[in-house]
Amino acid sequence: MSVHVGLCTVNGRPHDLEPGETVARLLERLEWSGRFALVELNGEPVERDRFGEVGLADGDAVLVARPVAGG
Amino acid sequence: MPAKGARVHSTDDSLVIAGRSFRSRLIGGTGKFDSFATMRDAIDAAGVEIVTVAVRRIDFDRPDEDITASIPERILLLPNTAGCETADEAVRVARLARAGGLPTWIKLEVIPDPRYLLPDPLETLRAAATLVEDGFTVLPYVQPDPVLQKRLEEVGCATVMPLAAPIGSGRGLKLREAIRIMVEQAEVPVVVDAGLGAPSHAAEAMELGADACLVNTAIARAGAPVGMARAVRLAVAAGRAARLAGVMDEHVQAQPSSPVGGVVTKA
Repeated sequence: MSVHVGLCTVNGRPHDLEPGETVARLLERLEWSGRFALVELNGEPVERDRFGEVGLADGDAVLVARPVAGG
Repeated sequence: MPAKGARVHSTDDSLVIAGRSFRSRLIGGTGKFDSFATMRDAIDAAGVEIVTVAVRRIDFDRPDEDITASIPERILLLPNTAGCETADEAVRVARLARAGGLPTWIKLEVIPDPRYLLPDPLETLRAAATLVEDGFTVLPYVQPDPVLQKRLEEVGCATVMPLAAPIGSGRGLKLREAIRIMVEQAEVPVVVDAGLGAPSHAAEAMELGADACLVNTAIARAGAPVGMARAVRLAVAAGRAARLAGVMDEHVQAQPSSPVGGVVTKA
């Protein structure tokens, strides 16, 4: 059973945080399996190799983007 | 930062952008294909080594297929800043893309005009300066303006990418004369981007002296995209070969191809 430790938003949608949830864990919980996840935390880009160490806190705004078709 | 003279071609006629060589002078777009399978086959048929991608938020309620799974890893992904209307927005998207592991190359588009999708030259220049300073290899999408071209070269852009006609219009080289002047005085590669609707348009741009063409809609929206990808590849190669060979001078009047004297029926 998950313990509620806070609420962040992911692309504007509410997301219940697990204790110690990192960006990497967030992507895992959202079942993102694409080659790229482009992440901003509170408006600042997060380097991909820091996804496993950057923790999320109550009130954080997370943006997750990816490459799509375009010209 | 690209060295001055980066436009100088090596003996194998490679396209050199920011010190990196490419055999193909055609850059592909990935938009508007009916399926990723068709896109992948068109990329192969076009022989491109660089393709553009856009950056958008993920809809976790309806996650879609990962486009990059359909793009061979040998192809350089060139993220664009499409959808950005200001320099600040474009810088934000570029930094987001880089942090997430996309290349540090960025196709810079700052477009406030939804009708003709014409880029904002002032905001484009401002974003270009910031991004070059921040270590990006910047390929700005611009209206064909030889003065803006110089400004973009001065701040360290790796190419300039003038539009031939509005994005997706397929109207061909409508802004030919301004592009000719850009080619004449270019210090970094001129990549004609947008508006090329047919292989002949791409050939014309290359004959004019463009270093490369970026083609998306003309391929993706063709009756048979894979066949058109091959046609555009051949046209770019033909136009480049013609440029190197030197296109003949035009004459207003006819110039006979056969000897004028010794006509059999005339004494």
